[in-house]
Amino acid sequence: MEHQVEMVGRAFVDHYYNLFDSDRVSLSSLYHPTSMLSFEGQKVQGVDEICSKLKSLPFGQCHHVISTVDTQPSPFPGGIMVLVSGSLHLPGEDHPLRFSQMFHLIPIPEGSFFVQNDVFRLNYG
Amino acid sequence: MDPDAVAKIFVEHYYTTFDTNRAGLANLYQDGSMLTFEGQQILGAQNIVSKLASLPFDQCKHTIATVDCQPSGPAGGMLVFVSGHLRLSGEQHELKFSQMFHLMPTPQGSFYVFNDIFRLNYA
Repeated sequence: MEHQVEMVGRAFVDHYYNLFDSDRVSLSSLYHPTSMLSFEGQKVQGVDEICSKLKSLPFGQCHHVISTVDTQPSPFPGGIMVLVSGSLHLPGEDHPLRFSQMFHLIPIPEGSFFVQNDVFRLNYG
Repeated sequence: MDPDAVAKIFVEHYYTTFDTNRAGLANLYQDGSMLTFEGQQILGAQNIVSKLASLPFDQCKHTIATVDCQPSGPAGGMLVFVSGHLRLSGEQHELKFSQMFHLMPTPQGSFYVFNDIFRLNYA
């Protein structure tokens, strides 16, 4: 069970950051109306608000490089907690920005997951 | 009570207990609680407190930089995401860390830690 949680968590993380880096608009498929995002302290809720926020970030291209992924089952049937750390490379910037991000994934009947909770924080040096 | 206020109170209580009476963390966890500490998975309050008691430093001080919280769903759970730094006695350099807690309500009206994930943030 634990191994499966880890596999699913890692697969989700890969998928999430690939989408973010190549087709940010399609992240909307990963959120539901009840989803919440806290981005550097700013709280937004729901697919439209979350996608607006992510689209409005002041950079076009970016590349996430993941250092660590930790997963645990959450108390909700099939739910998964994920804690990610890594760095974010922006074009034209010399230094990558280090970040941590937490996801709470909830399963949907089709067999995949949506992001119920999402918290993103830069880790300043 | 305002969830952000609850989260702040929990975070202060957790790290004060950690820094002054590490064994006292036992009543914040239950049998089903999980801790992942720098990649190592530990299950249950007893094992968790053993792990924390066995960390290779006697004294430490956590300083909290950011606390984010969100309700986790209809069961009344709360997610708390903390970043800060940790100073170990005798060490010159602080260690930066992130920690995620998933708190679940108890019948008595407080919270216990169901999920706990700790990671140092290396430069």
